[in-house]
Amino acid sequence: MVKTIAFILLRLIATLLAVTFLTFAMVALLPGDPVDTILGTGPRPPGIEEQIRADLHLDDPFLVRYVNWLGDAVTGDLGSSYITDQPVADTISQRLPVTAQLAFMSIFISVLVAIPVGVMGAYKQSKWQDSVSSAGVQVALSIPNFIFGIFLIWLFAVKLGWLPASNWNRLSDGVVPNLKTSILPAFALALGQMAVFSRLIRSDMISTLQENYILSARAKGLSDRYILFRHALRPSSLSLMTIIGISFGALLGGTVVIETLFAIPGLGFSLINAINGRDILLIQGITVFIAVMFVIINTVVDLLYAVLDPRIRRS
Amino acid sequence: MRQRRVVTALAIPLAFAFVAASCGSDSSSSNVTTAGTTATEGTTSTDTTPRETVPDVDTSVVAQTEKPVMGGSVTMGLEAEATGLRPWEDSCSSPCYNIMRTIYDTLMEEQGSGGYGPYLAEDLTPNADFTVWTMTLRPDISFHNGTPLTAQTIVDMFPLQQAGAAGASAISSSKLTGVTATGDLTVDYTLSGPNSAFAAFLAGAPLGMPFDPAAATADSAGYSTNPIGTGPFTIKSRDIDNETVVVRNPNYWRTDADGTQLPYLDSISFRPIPDEGTRLDALLSGTVTAMQSLRQGTIRDARAAGGNINLIEFQGNNTGGGMYNTAIAPYNDQRVRMGLNKMNDQKRVIEALGGTGISLPSTQWFSTDSPWWTQEAADSYPAFDFDGGKALIQEYVDDPARTDGKAPGEKIDVELSCPPDPTLIAAMQVIEQVWTGTGLINVKLTQYDQATHINNAVSDKHFAHCWRWGGQGDPAAQIDPFVADPAVSVANFPNYNDPEMQQWAAEADATDDFETRKALYSKIMTKINEQAILWYSGSTAVMVATEPDVKGIISWDLPSGEIGVGIPDAAVRWQEVFVSAG
Repeated sequence: MVKTIAFILLRLIATLLAVTFLTFAMVALLPGDPVDTILGTGPRPPGIEEQIRADLHLDDPFLVRYVNWLGDAVTGDLGSSYITDQPVADTISQRLPVTAQLAFMSIFISVLVAIPVGVMGAYKQSKWQDSVSSAGVQVALSIPNFIFGIFLIWLFAVKLGWLPASNWNRLSDGVVPNLKTSILPAFALALGQMAVFSRLIRSDMISTLQENYILSARAKGLSDRYILFRHALRPSSLSLMTIIGISFGALLGGTVVIETLFAIPGLGFSLINAINGRDILLIQGITVFIAVMFVIINTVVDLLYAVLDPRIRRS
Repeated sequence: MRQRRVVTALAIPLAFAFVAASCGSDSSSSNVTTAGTTATEGTTSTDTTPRETVPDVDTSVVAQTEKPVMGGSVTMGLEAEATGLRPWEDSCSSPCYNIMRTIYDTLMEEQGSGGYGPYLAEDLTPNADFTVWTMTLRPDISFHNGTPLTAQTIVDMFPLQQAGAAGASAISSSKLTGVTATGDLTVDYTLSGPNSAFAAFLAGAPLGMPFDPAAATADSAGYSTNPIGTGPFTIKSRDIDNETVVVRNPNYWRTDADGTQLPYLDSISFRPIPDEGTRLDALLSGTVTAMQSLRQGTIRDARAAGGNINLIEFQGNNTGGGMYNTAIAPYNDQRVRMGLNKMNDQKRVIEALGGTGISLPSTQWFSTDSPWWTQEAADSYPAFDFDGGKALIQEYVDDPARTDGKAPGEKIDVELSCPPDPTLIAAMQVIEQVWTGTGLINVKLTQYDQATHINNAVSDKHFAHCWRWGGQGDPAAQIDPFVADPAVSVANFPNYNDPEMQQWAAEADATDDFETRKALYSKIMTKINEQAILWYSGSTAVMVATEPDVKGIISWDLPSGEIGVGIPDAAVRWQEVFVSAG
């Protein structure tokens, strides 16, 4: 057991090193000079470019910059934004709760819808209910989330006036005000996931329903509902768990478009602003943070398999 | 109640998807007397705006007669977040100025009649050769923290401005070398050379917005989120990328003509909403009560939305278009540049950009209703002439001494680059169609994100390059660096080194006679056209849209009672905005 955990940790460290190095390299290769962003296109007094480069260590060799950055990063110091002077770690800690809440709500909504739809599809395989849900899933998969977001804004904000079109009320402003600003973007993000999750559950459950222990349960006269949700759903959720883990990690960095559309001050919004401003340390900080979270979440998902599936636990 | 003159949009020009940093600065001489702006607000109209050509969109002047109401609040949707609120350090564009102008007053302000009038300053007077400007501050002005604004404040600000990224550039551009207090409220600005447009630099950040230098020195980063100025509002909260709230400064020094304490509003909430459609939807749904836009597509959509919103459209001195890098072949040959320009059908480009009925074709950096616009420059810009353009390209192609090193008869290679905005791509495709239609040109279209696009121009990695030209106010701030020796001026993007244009710009800096300066800038615009250094694709317009009960957006005035310039760059002066009781 100790060996296994040590192996997982070593793998984690190696992955993180690779991720940080690659991220650093990619950001360094981005076209555009942060000094130009800082100084704009106006006249430049002699020496100011050199001074800014020296202040920001932009002239140091790539590897020196990486090692220095990594050394600071392991102590939690991700540097400060070139543009705003704010510590990158502060920016991440302010933005993370927003994006994490959106990701969580989006996953929650997706699962809430996907489980009954997927279970019904499997239970009524090849019947009209399955056909209808499959068609719905196809439609949901075909619509880009930002288009769905625009539709939601038009319907619920402009036409019905029920919800605000943009911006974000923090949880500290109250749960209801927060939900008012978070529900539309969460739904927009959830659409595609709902479809994927429900297809996954359907196909896994179709396999599970053919297992001997399900036949045995039926032979015992247990109700279909009991069999579906108590005996079949859990073992049919392993793929779902994996994809939820991946989706959650991806959502931490993948909400850029929706956060921009709804003007939500999350990590994605901050990342896109940093990219546009060539705010290198902020890009690095956010990207590496997202990558780290992604790796950690997937490691946790691996460990959760054993909890979910008695067969794995026993083996 | 004082008379308020407000004006309606003459032409709603083309707003490019990218905002080049060169587009936003303000400057002007102090003796312009002709109205140069148009905008609209209110209900009744009389057509009094001077202009030199007939526009294809509505223009009218409207008086605001409603009595202001104290109290109320406005929520304003901005196109972007202000990266910082430190005048000496943070580069500031339209959305940022909306916030900054609530916190900070400016020493001077741009007048609706043209030129600049005193604001925090009581007087600003140059010496004979415009190398020393003496400013007297108004007495009894205090910062939000109670610190008095004195001459020494202005002196103490200078080292911070010199060291600041934004300040250093403006100091260089303005020729400012020293600031000296000659009395409690009197300051001498010393310049390295004549600059008759120096007043313009005191009408905005980074040189013209007084801040508390002691507080700024103590905590520069903190000043960005907790700024201290002398303005009509004080900062209440700043949640970056979400909401910045300012509340009435109860000790503000200004009253209106009736003696009522300004500002009228209790508070303003600024929310960055980068998506143009969402911002308009936010207004239509009541999520915000006001919004700004610098894009013609949004102006078009807002017009189409109709209904319960008040559109305040404003035309400034910005024009879309592009430039050739004249340092490299084949753009280093005037025949190629002129040939390409003659085959650039501006009306079709505007149509591709969705600006039909909004944008007017442009021929210079100034809009047709600007006092700086001239017929001479307009006449020098080539009309669309496919055959004429093709003939020039053919001449170059057949020239054994052609500069691109290719054999006579071979096609020329042209790389046209714009930021990846769908409307800009459509416009590029229109141009590409015409150019390739000659059978003489290989056209390569490229798109880079805005930061890279600007960087390519700054670092001379550009060819035929989309850009935006001009800026509200005095032309000096834009033209001087543009025509300066490219070896020393990064802002001479086309790398066209012309001593004659440099001499004209210097002569314009050395006089405050408007007609003389106008003639000199007209010569520069004309030469730019004759040498085909740039091409144009329509003027640009901005818009502020509000709920109907938000009033006073456009009709602000200076302490002298003179009407202000309106909303250049969709940056509102908030001190006289109110929410109508009706």
